[in-house]
Amino acid sequence: MAETRGPWASELVDIVRAASGGLLFGIPLLYTMEVWWIGSYTDPWHMLVVLAVTFVAVTLLNRTSGFRDTKDIRLRDALADSVEALAIALVCVTLVLLLLREITSATPPQEALGKIVYESTPFAIGIALAHHFLRRGRDAGDDEDGDDEDGDDESGSDSQSPRRAGTINATLADVGATSIGAVFVAFNIAPTDEIPMLTAAMPPGWLIGVVAASLLVSYLIVFVAGFSNQEQRHTQEGVLQHPITETFACYVIALVAATFMLWFFQRAAVGDPWNAVLSNVVVLGLPASVGGAAGRLAV
Amino acid sequence: MTDAPKDATNDRGQPGRQARSTAEWVSFVISLLLVAAVVGMIAVQIPGEHGPPVPTVAQSGPVRAEGGSFFVPVEVANDGDATAQNVQVLATLTQSDGTETIADQVVDFLASGETEKLEFVFDTDPREGELEVTVNGYGVP
Repeated sequence: MAETRGPWASELVDIVRAASGGLLFGIPLLYTMEVWWIGSYTDPWHMLVVLAVTFVAVTLLNRTSGFRDTKDIRLRDALADSVEALAIALVCVTLVLLLLREITSATPPQEALGKIVYESTPFAIGIALAHHFLRRGRDAGDDEDGDDEDGDDESGSDSQSPRRAGTINATLADVGATSIGAVFVAFNIAPTDEIPMLTAAMPPGWLIGVVAASLLVSYLIVFVAGFSNQEQRHTQEGVLQHPITETFACYVIALVAATFMLWFFQRAAVGDPWNAVLSNVVVLGLPASVGGAAGRLAV
Repeated sequence: MTDAPKDATNDRGQPGRQARSTAEWVSFVISLLLVAAVVGMIAVQIPGEHGPPVPTVAQSGPVRAEGGSFFVPVEVANDGDATAQNVQVLATLTQSDGTETIADQVVDFLASGETEKLEFVFDTDPREGELEVTVNGYGVP
């Protein structure tokens, strides 16, 4: 895939893949208040130690995996990619914390740095494992037994039935995978106090930004990061198989999964104010949509 | 710096790398500057003596009456160098007849230079008595 792109486009996809891997690995801790608190009182020496430890861990992982299509062989390449991984983690974590309003213009610099540094550690490790994550998707992972199906689809068969059945199967697989992935991630976050805490700190209208970020992240992970069967996904037929419609449909599924999780843990009930429930669902919908995107790549 | 292609063989299916492309060099340099900036921002906070936290509290606005209750906005700030934990804020309202009403709140964490907004709620009008807001104690994390 990378061979058909220019070096700049290839680098951009590598960075998107890195950010996506970081999100997949780091999103649960981004929703953990204890990590925010630890960041609030961490002294500068400790922050530097955390950064150094993260850098070493990421370098070791980059020797075997990394976030690029290429495998790092030389130590200097691993070191250079580790600097990039750390920078991408710092930027992405800052953006997510700004989106969640855990960092605002009123946050003192030392507190903001503490939160960013601590949250960057799992994020950077996720970046270093990005290529390992889900590099064999549904189709790529089933090479041996999937060839026949592909053959049916691509042979231009006389009958429309196999193609239609394939489209329906692909759609059903996406719906199922999105549901499982969204529930898997939301299950860890829905019962915690972080969701009402975060929604309470969000001004009116801020949720629109959370919705936009959820859709963007879901699209980037599945259709840009190049984790697995991305090219095939771009060409799949069916109403819900177009990248845009699939992204929106799977976001709706992630919201339904988030609602179910909140109800399951008695964090939402019939009779609760609808705007409070909606806020909680949208805020939980961000990690749920990340999980949903991962689910579509994993199944 | 070159846009040399990456070779396509590797035992794991990932092509090995020959040379970093211009694009990779550019993103590396930007990343290096960014990481250096963050390390620099952390490092400048190290020198000097670091004193304890100094949480202070003051009424930050006029009393607001709504639904038979009276709301008093206050701001608690940390003017010290260290973070304070479990900052306990007390508001004591003394009526003209000597009756005291005490309300309290706790701020989980208050970093150096941070300000938190709180509201105390009383059943009687604080403007007709004497209201005192104080920090009653805190922990050091």
